[in-house]
Amino acid sequence: MPVYDGKELRIVGFLCNWCSYGGADTAGVARFHQATDLRIIRVPCSGRIDPLFILKAFQGGAAGVLVSGCHPRDCHYAEGNYYARRRLELLKRFLPVTGIDPERFEYTWVSASEGPRWQHVVQTFTDRIHKLGPAPLLSEPLTDAEMVEFQRQVEAGRGCGCHI
Amino acid sequence: MKGLEELKDKIHEILPDLDLVIGWEQGYDGLHATPLFIKTPEDVDRLIIGPLCVHNLATYLPGLKDKKVGVIVKGCDSRAVIELLQEKLINKDNVVILGLTCDGVINLTKLGRKIGSLGAVDDVKVEGEKLNVVIGDQQHNIAFSEVKQDKCENCIYPNALVFDHFIGEPVDRVENVGAEHQSLSDFEGKSFDQRFAFWKHEMSRCIRCHACRNACPMCVCRDHCVAMTRNPHWLSQENNVAENWMFQMIHVMHLTGRCVECGECERACPMDIPLMLLRRQMNRGVREVFDYEAGIDAQNRPPLLTFKVEEDNISEREW
Amino acid sequence: MSQQKFLASQSIGSFLETLLREHRVLVPLCEGDSVVFRPFRKGGGLELTRMPTTSPKEATFPRVETLMSFTQKVSAPQEEDGGKERPEIELTEHLPQDSTVVFGSRPCGAKGKTIFSRVYDTEAVKDPYFIARRDNTLFISIACSAPETTCFCTSVGGGPADSTGSDILLIPVTDGFMAEAVTEAGAKLMESAFFDAGTQKAEEAQAVVERAETKLGQAQDFSNAREKLLKLFDNESFWEEMSAKCISCGTCTYLCPTCYCFNITDETAGNTGKRVRTWDNCMDYLFTLEASTHNPRSSKAKRLKNRVGHKFSYYPSLHEEHIACCGCGRCIKSCPAAVDIRQIVKSAQEYEDVNI
Repeated sequence: MPVYDGKELRIVGFLCNWCSYGGADTAGVARFHQATDLRIIRVPCSGRIDPLFILKAFQGGAAGVLVSGCHPRDCHYAEGNYYARRRLELLKRFLPVTGIDPERFEYTWVSASEGPRWQHVVQTFTDRIHKLGPAPLLSEPLTDAEMVEFQRQVEAGRGCGCHI
Repeated sequence: MKGLEELKDKIHEILPDLDLVIGWEQGYDGLHATPLFIKTPEDVDRLIIGPLCVHNLATYLPGLKDKKVGVIVKGCDSRAVIELLQEKLINKDNVVILGLTCDGVINLTKLGRKIGSLGAVDDVKVEGEKLNVVIGDQQHNIAFSEVKQDKCENCIYPNALVFDHFIGEPVDRVENVGAEHQSLSDFEGKSFDQRFAFWKHEMSRCIRCHACRNACPMCVCRDHCVAMTRNPHWLSQENNVAENWMFQMIHVMHLTGRCVECGECERACPMDIPLMLLRRQMNRGVREVFDYEAGIDAQNRPPLLTFKVEEDNISEREW
Repeated sequence: MSQQKFLASQSIGSFLETLLREHRVLVPLCEGDSVVFRPFRKGGGLELTRMPTTSPKEATFPRVETLMSFTQKVSAPQEEDGGKERPEIELTEHLPQDSTVVFGSRPCGAKGKTIFSRVYDTEAVKDPYFIARRDNTLFISIACSAPETTCFCTSVGGGPADSTGSDILLIPVTDGFMAEAVTEAGAKLMESAFFDAGTQKAEEAQAVVERAETKLGQAQDFSNAREKLLKLFDNESFWEEMSAKCISCGTCTYLCPTCYCFNITDETAGNTGKRVRTWDNCMDYLFTLEASTHNPRSSKAKRLKNRVGHKFSYYPSLHEEHIACCGCGRCIKSCPAAVDIRQIVKSAQEYEDVNI
């Protein structure tokens, strides 16, 4: 039974073809119960993942984004996940300034044989996103209260309003 | 900035071997300098240096790759030159670098907050730590430190880091300044929701003119920017908050570990969007994780072009 | 001259609120460190002293407008197709309906739309979207009392109190504005009780305008720019020199009240989509990029030549010597490299070909 039946949030997962996608498959074949919020996009390698994929998902309103690849030393292409790790770590540390809670993004490693670990990752991440709730949307206009606040800052002579 | 006469003499000396030298001249009013492309000895007379010379002239170098170019750089600008050399985007054999010392350049937006309209300034003079702005028969005396570019407030590279000819005497670097500008920690006083709303508000003003991108010395794709492609469709033609936001994300991501914080993006922005907040945050991550700063040594390996099997400061396997 | 009436500064807010009943009202507002045209909000502030960073052309020519939207649907199985389904496209055209009042533009900004009209409202070509917006938009402009170093309206046929393109012209005086109806629609708005026919400050208003005119100084004579620029069309070195510092961004075109070029694209998502019209920018490489990948304006020199040439040469040739520039100076003021279009035209006028 899906845990959040009818109340799923949109979570996007980028999984490498060789390990994590296989791990998800293993979990599925073994009929492990998992939350159903995650929509998986299969990529050849975690090294293929441009951090912009993740930001694009957030731009489109994703509540969370999960990336999973082969464990370090296990990459099918020897070192793709090492490069990925550097990029994804910087992305995670960058997110706070945008106002997107960095907890909405996670990256980890799951091998093809780790069905139970996959189940754990999905469930943990989905629970975390549900605690955070739906993502704030860029397409939603600012509220009246927010507009008044920005106007107040301008009138207080604070210019761009970032220096308060 | 000191040594205008010495600089002029040096340019006269090297100009015969070069196609051009890029410097600054007085612009259309007392407040604006503008880039000057020196081709003849007569052009040298128009050269100025000083607090109005904000433009990072390294921006022009990748577009002049097949020419022999002299370029005048402040400390911060020189970091852009180093980064370009490091990434092999310019050929050192074709560039002659004239390095300056700098005691800060002006931020016209901040000046505008002090004097209201910037539209009627006749003259600006720096007298020690005072800035004297003449508007008709009015005089404004402003502390220069209050209208400097953000980057000057905690500048630790006042002298050009790379040069063929150094003009004047190197000044001592200011000690005890943080590597990070105050604005970022101030901004962190806001909640995530407030920050998100802040960017929505700022991005609603963006006209997507791409001045931030084109003024950036590291944005070398220029006419072939990924933001302009229809396929993949990173961005639509629509000018709205979500698309403008995404454009800025593209810019930041493509500057990861490359941005030298020259501040040209924010300066160029006609809508005064505080883009440097995004850059500062990214650079903080680069510093914390890789102990790396872009544009310091052309021999360095950029952090995203290498890896360690066991990273020192990443603990992604904990969860 | 029609009768002048007085509009007190303190009643502007209430006047605009009455307008909100029937119109969308756009006013200049401080946002961050810029001044932009935004919908007026009850009790919200106005910025009437600084020149707006953006131009009011957004009122008649928005940055982005949806021309039509479309949805692909599947019909019921058709007998004549052997029981197959047929794709159907449902189209909806979006012609602008609402009526707008722009309050607080400067005369130069309001004049911009007259330059559009010669192109988008002709015998041969009619742009229904632009025309609908133009005919449903009223401009209440404020005469300019503080010209800036970048202003040159008097050089291109305008002036600090030029009423071309405006419906009401306000001239700033002590405690308010002297208002003058320029069009019938403007006169109708001025029937509002907020306009007081009793207070007369015509002399003061006259003095304000004269002071501004004096401040603008000697107008630059652009009358021979048309031929001079055309003569320099093939002079690559001239244009390379002029454009050397240009960084080829779109600040000048997007802030320009008279730049009217646009792009049309279909933006789709799933089975729905829309056809949008957006501002285009002749400083951009993609502006003239052809499907064959050939680009007739491959360098920034060629692109800047086009911008200057279009405004000061080609457009005047086609439209009775009218220069496609209102002299607001936004392209100079906001240019990251301080490129000065006045200087470029002047250099062209003064250019002497040593080879002839």
